[in-house]
Amino acid sequence: MSVMRKEKPEAMDDGRWTREREEGRENLQSTCHPSIVSMFPCLRTAVAVLIVLAVVALSSPAWAEGPAPPAPIKVLSDEIQHLQQQIAQLEEENQGLRNMLRDMDDGELYLVVDTESNRLTMRQGNTVLMTAIVGSGSHQFLKEESGRSWYFESPLGSFKVLGKERNPVWIRPDWSYVEENMPIPSANDPDRFVRDVLGKYAILLGNGYKIHGTKWKNLLGTHFTHGCVSLGDEDLEVVHTSVKNGTRVYIY
Amino acid sequence: MLVLSLCLAGICGAEQRDAEQKKLVLQKKQLKARVETLKQEQDYLVFQKTMYESDSKYLIINFAARNMQLKYKDRVLKDVPFKRVLGRVSRLSHGALMLTQKIEGPKERNLLVFGQALVLQGKNAPSTLLEKGIPRVFLSRKNFLSVYYAIESGAKAFILL
Repeated sequence: MSVMRKEKPEAMDDGRWTREREEGRENLQSTCHPSIVSMFPCLRTAVAVLIVLAVVALSSPAWAEGPAPPAPIKVLSDEIQHLQQQIAQLEEENQGLRNMLRDMDDGELYLVVDTESNRLTMRQGNTVLMTAIVGSGSHQFLKEESGRSWYFESPLGSFKVLGKERNPVWIRPDWSYVEENMPIPSANDPDRFVRDVLGKYAILLGNGYKIHGTKWKNLLGTHFTHGCVSLGDEDLEVVHTSVKNGTRVYIY
Repeated sequence: MLVLSLCLAGICGAEQRDAEQKKLVLQKKQLKARVETLKQEQDYLVFQKTMYESDSKYLIINFAARNMQLKYKDRVLKDVPFKRVLGRVSRLSHGALMLTQKIEGPKERNLLVFGQALVLQGKNAPSTLLEKGIPRVFLSRKNFLSVYYAIESGAKAFILL
Protein backbone atom coordinates (compact mmCIF):
# COMPACT_ATOMS: atom_id res chain seq x y z
CA MET A 1 0.00 0.00 0.00
CA SER A 2 2.66 2.51 0.98
CA VAL A 3 4.87 1.70 -2.00
CA MET A 4 2.06 2.43 -4.28
CA ARG A 5 1.48 5.72 -2.48
CA LYS A 6 5.10 6.81 -2.87
CA GLU A 7 5.21 5.93 -6.51
CA LYS A 8 2.07 7.85 -7.26
CA PRO A 9 1.34 10.33 -4.49
CA GLU A 10 -0.58 12.74 -6.67
CA ALA A 11 -2.86 9.97 -7.78
CA MET A 12 -3.86 9.27 -4.26
CA ASP A 13 -6.38 11.82 -3.86
CA ASP A 14 -8.69 9.83 -1.79
CA GLY A 15 -9.91 11.36 1.40
CA ARG A 16 -7.85 9.17 3.69
CA TRP A 17 -4.45 10.46 2.58
CA THR A 18 -5.57 14.06 2.64
CA ARG A 19 -7.07 13.54 6.03
CA GLU A 20 -3.93 11.95 7.37
CA ARG A 21 -1.80 14.82 6.05
CA GLU A 22 -4.07 17.41 7.47
CA GLU A 23 -4.25 15.65 10.81
CA GLY A 24 -0.46 15.68 10.97
CA ARG A 25 -0.33 19.34 10.07
CA GLU A 26 -2.91 20.07 12.69
CA ASN A 27 -0.86 18.18 15.28
CA LEU A 28 2.28 20.20 14.43
CA GLN A 29 0.43 23.45 14.32
CA SER A 30 -0.78 22.82 17.83
CA THR A 31 2.94 22.80 19.29
CA CYS A 32 5.24 24.82 16.93
CA HIS A 33 5.38 27.95 14.86
CA PRO A 34 5.49 27.09 11.19
CA SER A 35 8.95 28.83 10.61
CA ILE A 36 10.65 26.99 13.57
CA VAL A 37 9.22 23.79 12.27
CA SER A 38 10.97 24.36 8.98
CA MET A 39 14.32 24.82 10.85
CA PHE A 40 13.87 21.72 13.02
CA PRO A 41 16.94 19.68 11.84
CA CYS A 42 19.39 22.67 12.28
CA LEU A 43 18.05 23.52 15.73
CA ARG A 44 18.91 20.11 17.11
CA THR A 45 22.55 20.43 15.97
CA ALA A 46 22.85 23.96 17.30
CA VAL A 47 21.63 22.91 20.76
CA ALA A 48 24.11 20.02 20.82
CA VAL A 49 27.01 22.35 19.89
CA LEU A 50 25.98 24.84 22.56
CA ILE A 51 25.90 22.11 25.23
CA VAL A 52 29.34 20.85 24.23
CA LEU A 53 30.76 24.38 24.21
CA ALA A 54 29.31 24.98 27.67
CA VAL A 55 30.87 21.77 28.95
CA VAL A 56 34.24 22.74 27.49
CA ALA A 57 34.04 26.22 28.93
CA LEU A 58 33.12 24.94 32.38
CA SER A 59 35.81 22.27 32.40
CA SER A 60 38.57 24.68 31.37
CA PRO A 61 40.99 25.59 34.22
CA ALA A 62 41.00 29.15 32.92
CA TRP A 63 37.35 29.40 33.96
CA ALA A 64 38.23 28.41 37.51
CA GLU A 65 41.53 30.33 37.91
CA GLY A 66 40.88 33.48 35.96
CA PRO A 67 42.90 34.65 33.00
CA ALA A 68 46.15 32.69 32.46
CA PRO A 69 49.48 34.61 32.73
CA PRO A 70 51.08 35.36 29.39
CA ALA A 71 53.04 32.32 28.17
CA PRO A 72 53.94 31.06 31.67
CA ILE A 73 55.69 27.96 30.43
CA LYS A 74 57.93 30.00 28.17
CA VAL A 75 58.76 32.42 31.00
CA LEU A 76 59.46 29.56 33.41
CA SER A 77 61.63 27.78 30.86
CA ASP A 78 63.69 30.94 30.37
CA GLU A 79 64.10 31.41 34.12
CA ILE A 80 65.13 27.78 34.54
CA GLN A 81 67.69 28.12 31.78
CA HIS A 82 69.09 31.23 33.49
CA LEU A 83 69.29 29.42 36.84
CA GLN A 84 71.02 26.45 35.24
CA GLN A 85 73.63 28.78 33.74
CA GLN A 86 74.08 30.45 37.14
CA ILE A 87 74.56 27.04 38.80
CA ALA A 88 77.12 25.97 36.22
CA GLN A 89 79.06 29.18 36.78
CA LEU A 90 78.93 28.92 40.58
CA GLU A 91 80.00 25.27 40.50
CA GLU A 92 82.96 26.14 38.31
CA GLU A 93 83.99 29.04 40.55
CA ASN A 94 83.64 26.96 43.71
CA GLN A 95 85.69 24.14 42.21
CA GLY A 96 88.39 26.68 41.37
CA LEU A 97 88.38 27.95 44.94
CA ARG A 98 88.50 24.41 46.34
CA ASN A 99 91.49 23.61 44.13
CA MET A 100 93.21 26.78 45.26
CA LEU A 101 92.66 25.92 48.93
CA ARG A 102 93.85 22.35 48.37
CA ASP A 103 97.02 23.64 46.73
CA MET A 104 97.65 25.92 49.70
CA ASP A 105 97.45 22.95 52.07
CA ASP A 106 100.81 21.14 52.14
CA GLY A 107 99.34 18.14 53.97
CA GLU A 108 102.32 18.11 56.34
CA LEU A 109 102.25 17.03 59.95
CA TYR A 110 102.36 19.89 62.50
CA LEU A 111 102.37 20.49 66.24
CA VAL A 112 100.01 22.71 68.18
CA VAL A 113 100.68 23.74 71.78
CA ASP A 114 97.78 25.20 73.77
CA THR A 115 99.50 26.99 76.66
CA GLU A 116 96.20 27.70 78.40
CA SER A 117 95.22 24.06 78.83
CA ASN A 118 98.82 22.75 78.58
CA ARG A 119 98.12 20.33 75.76
CA LEU A 120 100.22 19.44 72.76
CA THR A 121 98.45 18.05 69.69
CA MET A 122 100.17 16.47 66.72
CA ARG A 123 97.95 16.86 63.64
CA GLN A 124 97.90 16.20 59.96
CA GLY A 125 95.09 18.12 58.29
CA ASN A 126 91.95 17.53 60.31
CA THR A 127 93.35 14.32 61.81
CA VAL A 128 94.66 14.31 65.35
CA LEU A 129 97.65 11.96 65.50
CA MET A 130 98.37 12.32 69.21
CA THR A 131 97.74 14.54 72.18
CA ALA A 132 99.98 14.99 75.21
CA ILE A 133 100.02 16.88 78.47
CA VAL A 134 102.78 19.46 78.59
CA GLY A 135 104.25 22.02 80.90
CA SER A 136 104.54 25.60 79.69
CA GLY A 137 105.83 28.98 80.88
CA SER A 138 105.10 29.83 84.52
CA HIS A 139 104.27 33.52 83.93
CA GLN A 140 106.55 34.34 86.83
CA PHE A 141 108.70 37.40 87.05
CA LEU A 142 112.31 37.31 88.32
CA LYS A 143 114.43 40.35 89.07
CA GLU A 144 118.14 40.47 89.82
CA GLU A 145 119.58 43.01 92.29
CA SER A 146 121.49 44.57 89.43
CA GLY A 147 118.19 45.37 87.72
CA ARG A 148 118.09 42.61 85.14
CA SER A 149 114.72 40.86 84.96
CA TRP A 150 113.08 37.87 83.31
CA TYR A 151 109.48 36.96 82.64
CA PHE A 152 108.97 33.24 82.10
CA GLU A 153 106.38 32.66 79.43
CA SER A 154 106.26 30.37 76.43
CA PRO A 155 106.69 32.16 73.14
CA LEU A 156 103.42 32.43 71.17
CA GLY A 157 103.18 32.22 67.41
CA SER A 158 104.19 30.12 64.46
CA PHE A 159 107.59 28.41 64.60
CA LYS A 160 109.55 25.88 62.61
CA VAL A 161 111.60 23.01 63.96
CA LEU A 162 115.16 24.21 63.50
CA GLY A 163 116.91 21.07 64.74
CA LYS A 164 116.64 17.93 66.84
CA GLU A 165 118.98 16.77 69.58
CA ARG A 166 119.58 13.48 71.38
CA ASN A 167 120.68 13.52 75.01
CA PRO A 168 120.66 17.30 75.05
CA VAL A 169 122.86 19.23 77.38
CA TRP A 170 121.32 22.10 79.30
CA ILE A 171 123.49 25.18 79.34
CA ARG A 172 122.37 26.91 82.53
CA PRO A 173 121.42 30.50 81.84
CA ASP A 174 122.06 33.36 84.28
CA TRP A 175 118.48 33.37 85.60
CA SER A 176 118.97 29.80 86.84
CA TYR A 177 121.71 31.02 89.22
CA VAL A 178 119.75 34.16 90.16
CA GLU A 179 116.74 32.00 90.98
CA GLU A 180 118.84 29.91 93.37
CA ASN A 181 120.68 32.88 94.80
CA MET A 182 123.97 31.52 93.48
CA PRO A 183 126.85 33.50 92.05
CA ILE A 184 126.77 33.63 88.26
CA PRO A 185 129.75 31.80 86.76
CA SER A 186 131.55 32.75 83.53
CA ALA A 187 129.97 31.77 80.21
CA ASN A 188 132.22 28.74 79.67
CA ASP A 189 132.24 27.53 83.26
CA PRO A 190 131.82 23.72 83.25
CA ASP A 191 129.15 24.12 85.92
CA ARG A 192 126.84 25.57 83.24
CA PHE A 193 126.77 22.33 81.23
CA VAL A 194 124.27 19.98 82.79
CA ARG A 195 123.21 16.55 81.52
CA ASP A 196 120.01 14.57 82.19
CA VAL A 197 117.82 17.60 82.84
CA LEU A 198 116.10 17.97 79.47
CA GLY A 199 115.27 14.29 78.96
CA LYS A 200 116.44 12.16 76.05
CA TYR A 201 115.50 14.53 73.24
CA ALA A 202 115.10 18.21 72.47
CA ILE A 203 113.42 19.89 69.53
CA LEU A 204 114.85 23.34 68.82
CA LEU A 205 112.48 26.23 68.07
CA GLY A 206 114.96 29.13 68.12
CA ASN A 207 115.91 31.85 70.62
CA GLY A 208 116.77 29.17 73.18
CA TYR A 209 113.22 27.76 73.25
CA LYS A 210 112.82 24.00 72.97
CA ILE A 211 110.38 21.16 73.33
CA HIS A 212 112.12 18.75 75.72
CA GLY A 213 111.68 16.28 78.56
CA THR A 214 111.62 17.05 82.27
CA LYS A 215 112.58 15.66 85.64
CA TRP A 216 109.42 17.15 87.20
CA LYS A 217 106.86 14.90 85.56
CA ASN A 218 104.33 15.49 88.31
CA LEU A 219 104.14 19.12 87.20
CA LEU A 220 103.12 18.29 83.63
CA GLY A 221 99.76 19.91 82.89
CA THR A 222 100.73 23.07 84.78
CA HIS A 223 102.58 26.28 84.06
CA PHE A 224 105.98 25.58 85.59
CA THR A 225 108.69 26.03 82.96
CA HIS A 226 110.88 28.98 82.13
CA GLY A 227 109.32 29.19 78.66
CA CYS A 228 110.18 25.87 77.04
CA VAL A 229 107.53 23.22 76.43
CA SER A 230 108.09 20.12 78.58
CA LEU A 231 106.82 16.66 77.70
CA GLY A 232 106.74 13.23 79.32
CA ASP A 233 109.36 10.72 78.10
CA GLU A 234 107.10 8.55 75.91
CA ASP A 235 105.31 11.48 74.29
CA LEU A 236 108.64 13.20 73.71
CA GLU A 237 109.97 10.15 71.90
CA VAL A 238 106.92 10.01 69.59
CA VAL A 239 107.13 13.72 68.81
CA HIS A 240 110.90 13.60 68.27
CA THR A 241 110.53 10.69 65.85
CA SER A 242 107.64 12.27 63.95
CA VAL A 243 108.89 15.79 63.31
CA LYS A 244 111.65 16.88 61.00
CA ASN A 245 113.43 20.13 60.35
CA GLY A 246 110.90 22.59 59.02
CA THR A 247 107.89 21.02 60.73
CA ARG A 248 105.54 23.78 61.82
CA VAL A 249 104.88 24.35 65.53
CA TYR A 250 102.01 26.64 66.52
CA ILE A 251 102.02 27.86 70.11
CA TYR A 252 99.06 29.84 71.37
CA MET B 1 31.45 12.83 17.88
CA LEU B 2 34.15 14.79 16.11
CA VAL B 3 33.31 17.91 18.11
CA LEU B 4 33.28 15.90 21.35
CA SER B 5 36.66 14.32 20.65
CA LEU B 6 38.12 17.73 19.79
CA CYS B 7 36.81 19.07 23.05
CA LEU B 8 38.22 16.15 25.01
CA ALA B 9 41.58 16.70 23.31
CA GLY B 10 41.39 20.35 24.38
CA ILE B 11 40.73 19.36 27.98
CA CYS B 12 43.62 16.90 27.91
CA GLY B 13 45.90 19.57 26.43
CA ALA B 14 45.04 22.02 29.20
CA GLU B 15 45.71 19.40 31.86
CA GLN B 16 49.04 18.56 30.25
CA ARG B 17 50.03 22.24 30.19
CA ASP B 18 49.00 22.56 33.79
CA ALA B 19 51.09 19.54 34.80
CA GLU B 20 54.08 20.82 32.85
CA GLN B 21 53.77 24.22 34.46
CA LYS B 22 53.68 22.67 37.92
CA LYS B 23 56.76 20.61 37.06
CA LEU B 24 58.62 23.72 35.89
CA VAL B 25 57.66 25.68 38.99
CA LEU B 26 59.02 22.85 41.16
CA GLN B 27 62.20 22.62 39.09
CA LYS B 28 62.69 26.38 39.39
CA LYS B 29 62.28 26.17 43.15
CA GLN B 30 64.86 23.37 43.38
CA LEU B 31 67.32 25.26 41.17
CA LYS B 32 66.90 28.42 43.26
CA ALA B 33 67.67 26.42 46.39
CA ARG B 34 70.75 24.96 44.69
CA VAL B 35 71.93 28.46 43.71
CA GLU B 36 71.50 29.57 47.32
CA THR B 37 73.52 26.58 48.59
CA LEU B 38 76.29 27.22 46.08
CA LYS B 39 76.43 30.91 47.01
CA GLN B 40 76.75 29.99 50.69
CA GLU B 41 79.47 27.48 49.85
CA GLN B 42 81.26 30.16 47.85
CA ASP B 43 81.06 32.61 50.76
CA TYR B 44 82.72 30.00 52.97
CA LEU B 45 85.41 29.18 50.42
CA VAL B 46 86.21 32.86 49.87
CA PHE B 47 86.37 33.35 53.65
CA GLN B 48 88.78 30.44 53.98
CA LYS B 49 90.96 31.72 51.16
CA THR B 50 91.11 35.15 52.81
CA MET B 51 92.06 33.64 56.15
CA TYR B 52 94.68 31.34 54.63
CA GLU B 53 96.39 34.46 53.35
CA SER B 54 95.97 36.36 56.61
CA ASP B 55 98.09 36.16 59.75
CA SER B 56 95.20 36.01 62.24
CA LYS B 57 93.63 33.16 64.12
CA TYR B 58 89.93 32.68 63.41
CA LEU B 59 86.95 30.52 64.31
CA ILE B 60 84.70 28.26 62.31
CA ILE B 61 81.50 27.85 64.30
CA ASN B 62 79.48 24.93 63.01
CA PHE B 63 75.99 24.80 64.48
CA ALA B 64 75.01 21.70 62.51
CA ALA B 65 77.93 19.74 64.00
CA ARG B 66 77.72 21.63 67.33
CA ASN B 67 81.44 22.13 67.11
CA MET B 68 83.89 24.99 66.75
CA GLN B 69 87.39 25.07 65.31
CA LEU B 70 90.11 27.52 66.20
CA LYS B 71 92.23 27.87 63.08
CA TYR B 72 95.33 29.62 61.85
CA LYS B 73 95.72 29.70 58.09
CA ASP B 74 94.84 26.19 56.91
CA ARG B 75 95.75 24.61 60.25
CA VAL B 76 93.30 23.49 62.89
CA LEU B 77 94.62 24.53 66.27
CA LYS B 78 91.77 23.27 68.38
CA ASP B 79 88.45 21.45 68.05
CA VAL B 80 85.93 22.57 70.61
CA PRO B 81 82.55 20.87 71.02
CA PHE B 82 79.60 22.98 72.14
CA LYS B 83 78.32 22.26 75.63
CA ARG B 84 74.97 23.92 75.03
CA VAL B 85 73.34 26.66 73.04
CA LEU B 86 70.90 29.24 74.39
CA GLY B 87 68.90 31.99 72.74
CA ARG B 88 67.43 32.39 69.32
CA VAL B 89 69.73 30.49 67.00
CA SER B 90 67.22 31.20 64.23
CA ARG B 91 68.44 34.81 64.38
CA LEU B 92 71.84 33.66 63.13
CA SER B 93 72.68 33.60 59.49
CA HIS B 94 75.31 31.73 57.54
CA GLY B 95 78.36 33.93 57.05
CA ALA B 96 81.22 35.87 58.58
CA LEU B 97 81.23 37.67 61.92
CA MET B 98 83.75 39.80 63.77
CA LEU B 99 84.72 39.62 67.43
CA THR B 100 83.72 43.03 68.72
CA GLN B 101 84.37 42.64 72.44
CA LYS B 102 86.32 40.51 74.89
CA ILE B 103 84.67 40.99 78.26
CA GLU B 104 86.63 39.89 81.30
CA GLY B 105 83.98 39.03 83.86
CA PRO B 106 84.44 38.14 87.53
CA LYS B 107 85.75 34.65 88.35
CA GLU B 108 86.60 33.72 84.77
CA ARG B 109 83.08 34.55 83.60
CA ASN B 110 84.49 35.98 80.42
CA LEU B 111 82.64 36.57 77.20
CA LEU B 112 83.53 36.74 73.54
CA VAL B 113 80.98 39.01 71.90
CA PHE B 114 80.32 39.05 68.17
CA GLY B 115 78.23 42.22 67.93
CA GLN B 116 74.53 41.58 68.38
CA ALA B 117 74.85 38.25 66.61
CA LEU B 118 76.51 35.79 68.98
CA VAL B 119 78.22 35.34 72.33
CA LEU B 120 80.68 32.61 73.30
CA GLN B 121 81.17 31.79 76.93
CA GLY B 122 82.41 29.18 79.38
CA LYS B 123 80.45 29.91 82.52
CA ASN B 124 77.20 31.77 82.96
CA ALA B 125 77.91 35.45 82.74
CA PRO B 126 75.85 38.18 84.42
CA SER B 127 72.77 38.61 82.26
CA THR B 128 73.09 42.40 82.52
CA LEU B 129 76.05 42.18 80.17
CA LEU B 130 73.93 40.87 77.36
CA GLU B 131 70.94 41.88 75.37
CA LYS B 132 68.13 39.36 75.65
CA GLY B 133 67.77 36.83 72.88
CA ILE B 134 71.35 36.93 71.57
CA PRO B 135 72.32 33.33 70.83
CA ARG B 136 74.94 32.09 73.27
CA VAL B 137 77.24 29.14 72.82
CA PHE B 138 78.61 27.56 75.97
CA LEU B 139 81.95 25.74 75.84
CA SER B 140 83.73 23.89 78.61
CA ARG B 141 85.54 26.33 80.91
CA LYS B 142 89.01 25.15 79.85
CA ASN B 143 88.24 25.14 76.15
CA PHE B 144 86.64 28.54 76.35
CA LEU B 145 89.63 30.07 78.11
CA SER B 146 91.99 28.58 75.50
CA VAL B 147 89.94 30.22 72.77
CA TYR B 148 89.47 33.43 74.77
CA TYR B 149 93.20 34.00 75.13
CA ALA B 150 94.01 32.83 71.62
CA ILE B 151 92.02 35.45 69.71
CA GLU B 152 91.97 39.21 69.77
CA SER B 153 89.22 41.76 69.21
CA GLY B 154 88.60 42.07 65.51
CA ALA B 155 89.18 38.34 64.96
CA LYS B 156 86.94 36.77 62.34
CA ALA B 157 84.52 33.89 62.69
CA PHE B 158 82.38 32.09 60.18
CA ILE B 159 79.00 30.64 61.06
CA LEU B 160 77.93 27.40 59.40
CA LEU B 161 74.30 26.52 59.99
